[in-house]
Amino acid sequence: MEFVLTQIMGFGGTFWALAIDPLTYIYLISSVFLGITFGALPGLTATLAVTILTGFFGNKIPLDYSLIALLGAYVGAIYGGSYPSILLNIPGTAASAATAMDGYPLAKSGRGGEALGLTTTASFIGTLIGTIALLVFVWVLLLLSKNIASPEKALLAMFGILLSGTLMSEDLVVKGWIAGLIGLAMAMAGLDPLLSEPRYTFGWSYMLSGFQVVPVLMGAFAVPQIIEGLRHLEIGKMADLNGRILPNLKTVRRYMPTIARSGVIGTGVGALPGVGEDVAGWVSYGVGKTVSKEGHKFGKGSLEGLLSSETANNACIGGALIPLLVLGIPGSPPAAALMGAFKINNIIPGPTIDPAIILRVVAIMVMASFTMFIMGLFTARVFMAILRIPQTVFLPIVMVLTTIGSFSVGGGINDLYLMLGVGFVAYFMNMLKFPIAPLVIGVILGGLFDETFRRSLLISGGDVFVFGSRPVAGILLMLNIALVMSQFPVIKRAFSRLRRKVL
Amino acid sequence: MHDDTTAEEIAVLRARDFWGALVLLALSAFFMWRTFDIPLWGANRAGVSTAAWYNSAALVPLGIFSALMLLSLVLLSIAIKAGGAKRALSSVGIGWDRAEALRFTTIGVILFFYVAGLVPRVDFIACSGLLITALIFGHHKGQPQRMILAAIAVALCGSYAMIRHLPQSQWGAADDDVVTLVIWAALTIWVLIQARGDRVLRIIPVLAIAAPLILVCAMAFGFRQNVPNRGGVIFSQIQYHYYVTLRPLWSS
Repeated sequence: MEFVLTQIMGFGGTFWALAIDPLTYIYLISSVFLGITFGALPGLTATLAVTILTGFFGNKIPLDYSLIALLGAYVGAIYGGSYPSILLNIPGTAASAATAMDGYPLAKSGRGGEALGLTTTASFIGTLIGTIALLVFVWVLLLLSKNIASPEKALLAMFGILLSGTLMSEDLVVKGWIAGLIGLAMAMAGLDPLLSEPRYTFGWSYMLSGFQVVPVLMGAFAVPQIIEGLRHLEIGKMADLNGRILPNLKTVRRYMPTIARSGVIGTGVGALPGVGEDVAGWVSYGVGKTVSKEGHKFGKGSLEGLLSSETANNACIGGALIPLLVLGIPGSPPAAALMGAFKINNIIPGPTIDPAIILRVVAIMVMASFTMFIMGLFTARVFMAILRIPQTVFLPIVMVLTTIGSFSVGGGINDLYLMLGVGFVAYFMNMLKFPIAPLVIGVILGGLFDETFRRSLLISGGDVFVFGSRPVAGILLMLNIALVMSQFPVIKRAFSRLRRKVL
Repeated sequence: MHDDTTAEEIAVLRARDFWGALVLLALSAFFMWRTFDIPLWGANRAGVSTAAWYNSAALVPLGIFSALMLLSLVLLSIAIKAGGAKRALSSVGIGWDRAEALRFTTIGVILFFYVAGLVPRVDFIACSGLLITALIFGHHKGQPQRMILAAIAVALCGSYAMIRHLPQSQWGAADDDVVTLVIWAALTIWVLIQARGDRVLRIIPVLAIAAPLILVCAMAFGFRQNVPNRGGVIFSQIQYHYYVTLRPLWSS
């Protein structure tokens, strides 16, 4: 009880301090607006919104405002993806792909206003569910994480990369793992963290500090998006927005169990290292289809289907911040961009993080979700007008934004070369259906993995059994092995045989 | 029909995977070879004995590149089993699309010359204006002639800047700024001639001037951050008038 009271008091104090600062609202409103715009424009993603703003705000304004700008854009962009999903049948972000399944049929049948209103409400409640989970679980996990030492950290980093590779892969799982390994390999460049031995610098002094996170993020997420999006596309006919957008309270109350269930699923999926909002949306949609009485209507204009995906993708944000803040392992690709912002501000997320930062993150999330809710309900028509802008017009401007953002973070012109190189590689990887998220997670966690893996061996005098000698390390080792083994054809076949027998 | 398309797409993907796996194999072999330059079994550096194998800086990279090599072999075998090797030598097999190749090449050329040639050497507003004009004009309607013309315009400016002023000591020169401005103006006039009945083309000059101007000024004077090429012909004038003409108005 005392713990809960302390938490509420801490949160209240932080919330009040932010609420009485007028600058908070300037950053909040502009970043949520920008986020919704990024999400609403097909071709721009939530990750891109956070990445570009990291370049702009990451280390140029005080940390509080920088967090407001980045979290506001994150919350706004995940929600904004629902606009083109509902009105154009084109997901604005990957996170909203499941939303289009029911949103567009609803809009076509003249219920577009109702769909948008409920989506806004569900996204708002979803974000709050994720944020409450963040407030509660982050402290529980922080207490537990005091027992996490180098072997556990190394195994956790490995688990994050493997899990992200497994779940984010569209084609073969092996491609996700390869992408993760490429990211890890990139993180090896520069001076090694224990002995300062130069690795793969090829005589270029810039490489001594290794691959910088922001240019890698810009290259991995922005450049392929720009190359891919610069093509002639006729914007489809937008469904008419009939009916009022303000949601009917009775309907919201009726669907509350669905919203609550999807919020919990979204938070849970978000808490898995490296797994993003798109997976959360689809998992929740799949669960909803299985358990709902109107499951047969999913895909044909079901409000429950719409709410299942939209609540989960926004709830995923709070979930994704849990491993980021507790362990320094991003829970989703936009959280990886957020980690970049923490890094350039010299903040190391993990067990040693300043608890005040966690409370500030929670307070900002609550404020951002309220701002998103109000903007979504009262300025929807502005975002509908933005939807009509062709990709070929805004993507060149995004390229200029990316260039100046990447340049100003610190490394100057060399960062731009790195960004372009990573961008071309990421484009070809996209073309070959290699997921990019594990690569970025690999780059971010590579240093941590290298340092903690070798430190574990150093402390144990080269004894490899150190990775199984402690209970948490043992569990994590088993999880890593199980994850790899689960992809072996023999084991897959054995499992499917077992499932057939059981069912 | 849908299944046929998917099967065809997977077949194309496996042919591409075949080449992808070979590239990954070569890269992992190369980096593994480079890793052996890092002492693994302990070494003596300037009389100081470095660590044992388990603390070597080569340990983790060796593991990573070995795993990468292994997974590349797995991918190669999957691609070969799915018939990727047989299809890999024909353009149809790898799903070669001439229009797509042209689109990618022109964008690639524009981005390369913008980042490697223009941004370090030419005024940021001028080169970004040219980039915006070239990308929108070249790719808005998807016409190959426009794509090629746009790429040539940026490549001309970029290669002039790179050839004339390759070393960093010469990046401050102004002649490449003038060349870029002239070519940007010529391209803009051509765009406006072609713009009859096309609203998007008509707004290109406004976007091309306003977007980089606002961005660079916000970054330089709002956030007080470093911006590329402060000595560029346009930005140096803006900077001069900001500090000499405008700023004294409120700072005094």
